[in-house]
Amino acid sequence: MAKANKKATDKEMRKSKKVILNAQQKQAVSSFTAGLSAAILLIALISLVVFIMIKGTAYFWPANVFKVTTISATSPSDTGQVFVKSSVDQAEFISALENRLETQFSGNKASMPEFEVEQPTKVYQINLLNGDEKLGVFSRLHTQSGQYEDIQRLAKIKAEVNLLQADLRSIQDEQLTVLHRKIANLDQKNVEQGAPARLHELELFDYWQSRADELSSQIEQYSIEFTDAMGNPFRVAVKNTDTLFLPNQLSLGDKFAYSASKIFAFVSESPKQASTSGGVFPALFGTVLMVLIMAIIVAPFGAMAAIYLHEYAPNNKLTSIIRICVSNMAGVPSVVYGVFGLGFFVYFLGGSIDSIFFSEALPSPTFGTPGLFWAALTMALLTLPVVIVSTEEGLRRVPEGLRAGSYALGATKIETILKTVLPIASPGIMTGVILAVARAAGEVAPLILVGAVKFAPSLPVDSDFPFLHLERQFMHLGVFIYDGAFHNQTNTQGSSMMFASCMLLLLIVFVLNLFAIIVRKRLRDRFLRL
Amino acid sequence: MLKLFEKETLALESLSDEQTALDVKNLSVRLNDSLVLDNISMRIPKNKITAMIGQSGCGKSTLLSSFNRMNELHQHYAYSGEVIMDGRNIYSKKENVAKLRTQVGMVFQRPNPFPMSIYENVCFGLRIQGQSERRELDEIVEQSLRHAALWDEVKDRLFESALLLSGGQQQRLVIARALALKPEVLLLDEPTSALDPLTTLHIEELVSQLKHNCTVIIVTHNMQQAARVSDYSAFLHQGQLIEYSDSDSLFTMPEKKQTEDYITGRYG
Repeated sequence: MAKANKKATDKEMRKSKKVILNAQQKQAVSSFTAGLSAAILLIALISLVVFIMIKGTAYFWPANVFKVTTISATSPSDTGQVFVKSSVDQAEFISALENRLETQFSGNKASMPEFEVEQPTKVYQINLLNGDEKLGVFSRLHTQSGQYEDIQRLAKIKAEVNLLQADLRSIQDEQLTVLHRKIANLDQKNVEQGAPARLHELELFDYWQSRADELSSQIEQYSIEFTDAMGNPFRVAVKNTDTLFLPNQLSLGDKFAYSASKIFAFVSESPKQASTSGGVFPALFGTVLMVLIMAIIVAPFGAMAAIYLHEYAPNNKLTSIIRICVSNMAGVPSVVYGVFGLGFFVYFLGGSIDSIFFSEALPSPTFGTPGLFWAALTMALLTLPVVIVSTEEGLRRVPEGLRAGSYALGATKIETILKTVLPIASPGIMTGVILAVARAAGEVAPLILVGAVKFAPSLPVDSDFPFLHLERQFMHLGVFIYDGAFHNQTNTQGSSMMFASCMLLLLIVFVLNLFAIIVRKRLRDRFLRL
Repeated sequence: MLKLFEKETLALESLSDEQTALDVKNLSVRLNDSLVLDNISMRIPKNKITAMIGQSGCGKSTLLSSFNRMNELHQHYAYSGEVIMDGRNIYSKKENVAKLRTQVGMVFQRPNPFPMSIYENVCFGLRIQGQSERRELDEIVEQSLRHAALWDEVKDRLFESALLLSGGQQQRLVIARALALKPEVLLLDEPTSALDPLTTLHIEELVSQLKHNCTVIIVTHNMQQAARVSDYSAFLHQGQLIEYSDSDSLFTMPEKKQTEDYITGRYG
């Protein structure tokens, strides 16, 4: 009997063993597939980031300068020399140049000109104040008092020019503007042309005007003369120069220092040269401000809607229809929201606000035009479903026992929700806000319609009352990249600036998310140690 | 001569109004269209411990929840009948339910402290009542924790999270939380079913102390527990009150056959 029993169990064990083996195999296959897809995802993500990093950092890194001499086989007039910037080393640079020439000569290697490449040490890169760059070999300094061959004097000369410019500015600000206003005042009072008061003012005006002209002509005399690759001289006014340095002689430390200053300028200055150089500060500022305003709008509305749906709405068909609508709203193309925002918020709401509160400023619109607030409101609408869904998820996770406990202590429904349920659901709200922020920071299409512009003359925050100008148009990094990518495809510097902006956008989304994740972690630690 | 223990047991039939904490009159409750309580009438004596026993699903928890109207949180809920407390019907339309629940405290099967500090847990009900003066709160917190026999264990860590306490401590904290409101009636819904025997003993001792301050109604599956702690016991079966008398007589010489079957373990 016992033997038979043992046999039976043995058989069973063998059977179960076989099953286990199968399960293991199944698990191995499924884990391999999952691992593979995760690996592909990871590789795609990393290569995206690396690509953007490499392309983007080129904008900050000081590039080497090469002198390229082309010797045409057919006509000697094609022979020429140019300075070309390239951040890569020489061998790679030559092959890239060959490719470029090949495409230029329609793939015909025979008619391709020969060229020589050398790396001159004495070439300066001159960064102009307007964001332009020039390359040239230094020849001499021109000043009021003569010419100097010594570039070391530049610092001194620059200081002189600065002094002169300060003088000029003070004349313009303190004398000319005041006089101009006085004369305009006289005009308004219809004072005769020959009246002594007017003559006096005009005389003064002429005097200061001539002083100013004199000063500016003096400033004009300060310039630096360079020669280009062909040996032709060109001059750069000292007042227009920002920095100049020898890119081929920079040590590694110098290069890092240069990059650091360029990065600082990138995040703190306005764009120059039609968004191909300079900084992106207004876009950075606009993005962050818009996202913050949106988060302030969307978090309470989303939370309230979710609380209604989860706590108050009766469990019937209508509620489930509303739920389905909310989930589907997340799938509506963003440009549709943009059009809606333009039609409803900007023209209808903004127009109504204008006709009620700002009627004296009409027909020029105040709120009836795309602006920061409408953009934030549109983005809040766009991200509302995300916040509602994740808040509801958070509410669902609140244990029923806690609600009962709160009711049993004499709390009303609203007190229970505010004091017990909402704190515990707050990490869910934060999850929604994180997703909303990531989406709003990267959105472009609706923003173009409701307030983001490629160049805004002023920031939405300044020192004038009421300090935050919600009706102003603003710059947004996504729009900036979109615009730049269209217009600067051929300009190497411009396109590397676009990649640098992409990098910054990624960084902003990352930082904003990190901030929200830290907040959520703190809330979780506080309320969910169950 | 037989009165070895000076235990005063009042005859349930002759309770005066002053001696009654809750007077249940013809109470019927339907949940999800099924009759859960069928025409229950009983008087619950003041400052005594009354135990409700019966099978799972016999309606004892529902009966307990009808005393502070927690049943109303169910979606499909209907009732008829009255519950008189202090001379007023708590089911009348004029009754303030939130206020009622401060007078009738409730402790649940599983300890459910809020994710806050121990101090804030005890204060929760008081703060909702608008009490915010620190000194008063401190006093009530200490008093309630002492009554719940928890003070000595937590007095050094009042501001730590309540979720760090053990299960038994959490259950006592929940009792303290209810006591902080100085309720007239305390409802205990199987307060020890999720706890180990030693902690159960703690809670039982605590419960027998509590009757000096308030009327205690306890729902339990544990017959010994009911016999140990309660002064009166009610046996419910399928929504009907089968037998209700003082615990000594109910457990030693039950009048009904069903009661005897249940307490001797013949079914249930």
